[in-house]
Formats: sequence, structure tokens, C-alpha cells
Amino acid sequence: MTAVALSWLVVSLLFAAACSRPATGPDGAPAPGETRTFEGTWSASGTRYTLQLEPGHKTSILRLTGSLLLTGQRRLGVGFQGEAIGISDSQTGGVGHAVWTDERGDKVFSELKGQPLGTGSHIVGTITGGTGRYAGVTGEYELRWQYVIDSDDGTISGRAVGLKGRVTAPVAKAPAR
Amino acid sequence: MTVPGPDRRKLLSRVATFALAVGLWFTPIPSGLTSQAWHLFAIFAAAIFSVIVAAFPLLTAAMLAAAAAVLTGTIAPAKAFAGFANGSVLLVVVAFLVARGVVKCGLGRRISLLVVSAFGRSSLGLAYSIFLTDAAIAPAFPSNTARSGVLFPIVLSIAQGAGSTPEDEKTRRLGGYLMFCGMASLAVSSALWLTATSTNPIGVEIVEQFGLKINFGSWLIAASVPALAAVLLLPLVLYRLFPPGVSATPGAPAAAREALRSMGPLTRDEKVVAVAFVLMVAGWVMAGTLKLDLTAVAFGGFGALLATSVLTLDDITHEGGTLATYLWLAVLFAMSGQLNELGFMSYVGGRLSSALEGISWPAAYVALVVLYVLMHYLFVSQSSQVLALLGVFVEVGMRAGVPAPLIAFALLFASSYFSTITPQGGSQNVIFVGSGYLRQAELYRLGALTTAFCLVVFLLLGTPWLLLVVR
Repeated sequence: MTAVALSWLVVSLLFAAACSRPATGPDGAPAPGETRTFEGTWSASGTRYTLQLEPGHKTSILRLTGSLLLTGQRRLGVGFQGEAIGISDSQTGGVGHAVWTDERGDKVFSELKGQPLGTGSHIVGTITGGTGRYAGVTGEYELRWQYVIDSDDGTISGRAVGLKGRVTAPVAKAPAR
Repeated sequence: MTVPGPDRRKLLSRVATFALAVGLWFTPIPSGLTSQAWHLFAIFAAAIFSVIVAAFPLLTAAMLAAAAAVLTGTIAPAKAFAGFANGSVLLVVVAFLVARGVVKCGLGRRISLLVVSAFGRSSLGLAYSIFLTDAAIAPAFPSNTARSGVLFPIVLSIAQGAGSTPEDEKTRRLGGYLMFCGMASLAVSSALWLTATSTNPIGVEIVEQFGLKINFGSWLIAASVPALAAVLLLPLVLYRLFPPGVSATPGAPAAAREALRSMGPLTRDEKVVAVAFVLMVAGWVMAGTLKLDLTAVAFGGFGALLATSVLTLDDITHEGGTLATYLWLAVLFAMSGQLNELGFMSYVGGRLSSALEGISWPAAYVALVVLYVLMHYLFVSQSSQVLALLGVFVEVGMRAGVPAPLIAFALLFASSYFSTITPQGGSQNVIFVGSGYLRQAELYRLGALTTAFCLVVFLLLGTPWLLLVVR
């Protein structure tokens, strides 16, 4: 095996090790009735289709996917794959929906509202529920787009920082008698 | 202990590839990634590994990987095949065909004779002519893929003019040396000038969000010492790493001048190609200002060569190598893009870089730059890596105490010079790779060593220089 092949194997295993490094803190869903706060970042890319309306007014349909990484001792897992679709209007702001999916395929759903998508824009999310271990969770979060870069071909990339929020698990129901 | 024969070695390589794919696939999915992202990584990593260990050629590996990704339901067919309609991929293919026209009509030979008559006393002289020409024309070309379309026919003609062919093992090395010089030259000239590749302005826009203002002049000052050092040293380093077989050719310049005289005036086909080529170059240079699509400009030039019968349909039917290049490049481009879209790249980048928090800033600085370069093994586009990781790495560096301009410039320059790390690391490489002068193992070996050399030059020379000139 050549040195380059060996290097590539090491690089692959390094990436794998980076991914599987044990997380600190209580990852996963909160216990019934528990509220957890979380912080993190979201790096995303996707597409934007823009419709030019009257002068100074445009609206666009967006789809973004990427890695949402969380930090802190009481976070909600190490991270998720975040996917969002929405409409961004230069006059009325942005609305949309997001789905976060974890390594088990469990999902967290949220509604998004805020400023039109662009560098520096502020977005607020309301967590409306989920599936699997996140079933019934509620909460809210906010984030700010550190940068958003539009390409000529309609692709879009950006990074959201200051992602902060909290999530509460539903209180367990008493068993029926 | 017996050394395994070629067949046994290939079998072992294939078993190792399969073991890597299966091992990664069934590793528990890391927290924060989806099964889709993890399984695609397993397929992609195994495909690249198989090429490096010579288990499969790049085309075979790409085809098997595409089939595995789609048939296992890891990614949708539309996503897996999206690369076939990608502008950069098509630009490479069309530039390849245009280059054939330049060679076929004799204009390439004429240009190569001119180059040899001026620089042809040694193969090293020819290599320097490639590096210096590229460094000089780079600031006018906003796309290094388009620039490769200009350089390649000249390099190919020089190689052929010197009697080097991919099929002949004795003469192949000179062509291989010159081809890799073309790739390495594009990598470092892109680091030298802000406007030498479309990736640089994207990176500048990202680091602007961290309070850094970079313009044409400040970039050039910051890049000048390490990039020019790399330009001056790389032909020599590559000469040592991949000896071209032919060193001194003192009689070549006189012979070239004589051959030029015997060629006589430009033929009709040469004039057609010259005009088409000049118009294409003008289109590529003015693409930003006139809002021209680079690939459409190449299609225009290619169409003109077909319309004027400089190139015929019969010529195109012999371009099987171009088809192979198109197939593997499109598949790997799409797969790498999907890894990015599924969040794998930013996830790994974020996890690796955050693991460096708490160490001293010089150590964090070196580690971040090295990791950023190594991450390019997974990317088939420089822009994609800049968009996915540059902001993350700059932020982690700044949090670790690395001066913001230092980490920003170091990563911006790396975003250019890491392109040779794999044959698919930048679309500008692909046209040289497709020439057939270099074997796959040679491409990966030279790519890794060239990138390591550039890394050392930019860290050792670039770091003190940056600390001196940027604030």
C-alpha cells in the first residue's frame, strides 16, 4: 500500500473519528416535562428562486439544507441535519418551516418567521413538535445569518450563528386506570 | 515473505476497498448526522480509496459508486446525476474538444515551437515558461477552469512536439511532468491574484463578515512572497519528484526556429482556430463585466470549429477519453455536492475545528490550516469547500486567538493551492488529467506531495510575511 493510500485511509478514519467522538452532556431528548436550552450554528446551502415584483420589491422561494451543530452541556443532541423551506419577501419578511433530523431519523418540526433572508437577518423559530423521542416537544429559538451568499445560478449558501433556544418535552400522561 | 503479484495485489486492494465501504456503512451513525449523509460518505470514501490503491480506475470507481448510492436509496437519481448538467463539468469537456482543434490544425505546434525556441534549452525551462505565462495571464481570467482551457493546448503541443506520447513509457514522463506543472501552476497562480479564480471573491465576501476588508492590492501584497516563492520553486520540486527523463536539450531552440520556418505562413484552419480562440479568451476575460456564461462561450467556440470544419464529427467520435472524463467528473461532482448538501462537510469541519479549542493560537493556526487542506480530499469543487467551511474555520481560529487577517489569508490561499491534492480537486485539473500522460497513482502521489510542499511554503514563508504586512 502506498504512502498516499495510507494517508487517505488515515484521513477517512480521522473524519470518522471526528464524527464519532463521544459527546459530552446529556444528548438526546429531554425527559418528560424537562426544559433544555441549546446553542449552536447552522451551515446551509440550497436554492433561491426570486420573482421580481414592483421596483424595490422582490420575493423568493428558498430551500436550504445543512448541518446544525449544537454546543453546551444541556444541549439537545450533538446536532441535526437541518432542512428548511420558506418564502422571503423584501417588504413583509420571511416565513417558513424547518425540519431537524437526527442520526436515528427522529425529527423536530418548527415554524420560522423573521426578516427577509440575507446577511445579518434575524429569524425566530417556534418548535411545534416532532417524531420519535422528540414527539410532542415545544419551544422556541432564534438565529442570525452571519453571511448569505447568492450565486448567479440560483444557489445560495450561508451560515447562521447565535442559534439559541429552548425545548420542553411534554409531561408524561398518567396511565389510564 | 513473498511480494504479492499484480493480480493478487489488485484483489487485495479490492477487498480492502470493500472492507472500508462496509466497515464505514455499518459503523453506528454519529450523533448529528443522518443515515443518508453517513452512508454516502462510506460510498464516496471507498470510491476514492479504491482509486488510490489502484483497485479500480477512476471511471470504474465513479460508476460503481453512483450505482451503489442510487440503488441503496442513499440519494435520489436526480441528485446523483445532477453533475451531468453542471456548467463547470461541461466547460471542462468542451475545452478538451477545443484543445483537440488547436492541436489538429497545427496552431498548437506553431505555438509550442515558439515556446521551445525561447525556453526550450531544458525541460525545466519549458516548465518555467508554463508557470510564468500562467502567473502573468491569471489576473485577467476570473475562472481557472477557463484558463486551463487556454494552457492545456499549449502544454499538449509542447509535449507532443518533444515527441512525448502517453502510450510510450520512455517519452511519457516529459509530457507527464509538463501536465502536472500546468495543474500546479493553476493552483498557485490562483493564490497569487484575487481575480484569478471565482473562488477568491466568494472567500473575500465571507471573511468580510469577520470585519476584514480585502481588495486586489492587499491580496496581492499578502500573497506575493509565498505564492511567488511557490511559483519559482515548484518546477524544480516537481522535476525532482517526477524526473521528466529529458533534461538538457541545447539544440532544441535552433531546431524549433528551423521547424517554424519550414511551417510557412498560417494555414486557413490555423487562422480560424486563432480567431475563435482569441474570441473565447476575450469572452472568458470579459465574462464578469458582460455577464457572459463561461460554458456558453466555450460552446460558441466549439461550434465555430465544427461549423468551419476545422473539427469534424469524425474527430469527435474518437474522443472516448473525453467521454470517460465527463462521466467520472459528473458523478464525483454530484456526490461531493450531495455530501455538502446533506450537511456532512460542515458537520465534520465543525467537529474537527471545535476539537482544537483550548490550545495555543499558533498550534491552532497550523492545525486549522492542515485540517482545512486535508478536508479537500472530500471536495470536487474549491468553491463548495469555501462556502461550506471557510467561515467555520475562520471563526474557530479567531476564538483560539489567531489574528483574524492571518487565519483568513492563510485559509484563502489554501483554498487555491489545495486543488492539486486529488485529480478531481479542481475542475481545472481535469483537462490535464484526461490527457493520459499521468497514471492515477502518480496523480495522487504528486498531488499529495505538491500540496504538502505548498502548505509548508505558505506556512513557513507566508506566516511571518502576513504578520508583517497585514493588520
